[in-house]
Amino acid sequence: MNKKINLWERYLTKEIGIEFKACLYFFAILFFYCCYLLINKIYSASILIMAEMILSTYVIGYIQVWVFNNFDEADEVKGRELSGFIICSIIYILEAHFLGWFDKNLLALLIFAIYVVVLYVCVFFVYKCRRKIDDKLLNDNLANFKARIK
Amino acid sequence: MSRINYKVIKNTEGINELCFNYSENSAEAQAILDFINGRQLKLVGRLDGAEFVINPDDILYIEIVDDKTFAYTKSRVLQLNMGLREVEEYLNSVKYFRCSKSMIVNIDKVETLKSLSSNRIDAVLENGEHIIISRTYASDFRKVIRGDYE
Repeated sequence: MNKKINLWERYLTKEIGIEFKACLYFFAILFFYCCYLLINKIYSASILIMAEMILSTYVIGYIQVWVFNNFDEADEVKGRELSGFIICSIIYILEAHFLGWFDKNLLALLIFAIYVVVLYVCVFFVYKCRRKIDDKLLNDNLANFKARIK
Repeated sequence: MSRINYKVIKNTEGINELCFNYSENSAEAQAILDFINGRQLKLVGRLDGAEFVINPDDILYIEIVDDKTFAYTKSRVLQLNMGLREVEEYLNSVKYFRCSKSMIVNIDKVETLKSLSSNRIDAVLENGEHIIISRTYASDFRKVIRGDYE
């Protein structure tokens, strides 16, 4: 039962976590982008913009995990986590503006900014909710374990 | 469903002998064996030059501090003259869990568990102390309390 995780396994676990995060945020941003296109009666999406989106979610995923204590999964939001939340949201908004994801449309950009903030808040609460369910499961298992060994 | 039978036989010297039969290695049989073994196990610890016999059931956790092994009970901290691995092998029960490189926790003395970010677990002991079970050990801990190792 004595299990030691080596450096490679530790890196791999972190990397998988970042890739999962990149996919999660990419699909959320892609959904917004597709809605924007549909509203403007455009029925084809730019591969270049989608590539920019996936690359930026991947890079921001690294920043979230390595610089800002994985703030969307954090137990509580304090100084570093809060600054991570603000900085990463700003990076997304600046990228969307300068890379022209929404044709430099300021209203679309403003709605996108709100969407990113709401997205981060939702992800934070989803993880919190998941941990609450896990708490219950852990304590049930603990009670059963104690009953078994008595 | 495993069957457990027992018989009390009076031997030729007039002493009662307990004969315990079980069909497979079930959690219940293991708990009976752990109980019998646990009744015989004792640890010797030192405090202020005096030696004390400790019942392993009273231990909350055992920790290595500055290459010395300490057993923490509700009221005392005793120094053991064994290494952590030796203690682990000596106690040899699922309820004494190696929760970090330098610590063994008595699961029976864990009051509540809380799921933390990055798959860590916060264990609150009967005396109110918090012990963090890192991701490396948390998956094994979950298996132990689920009964996967029994």
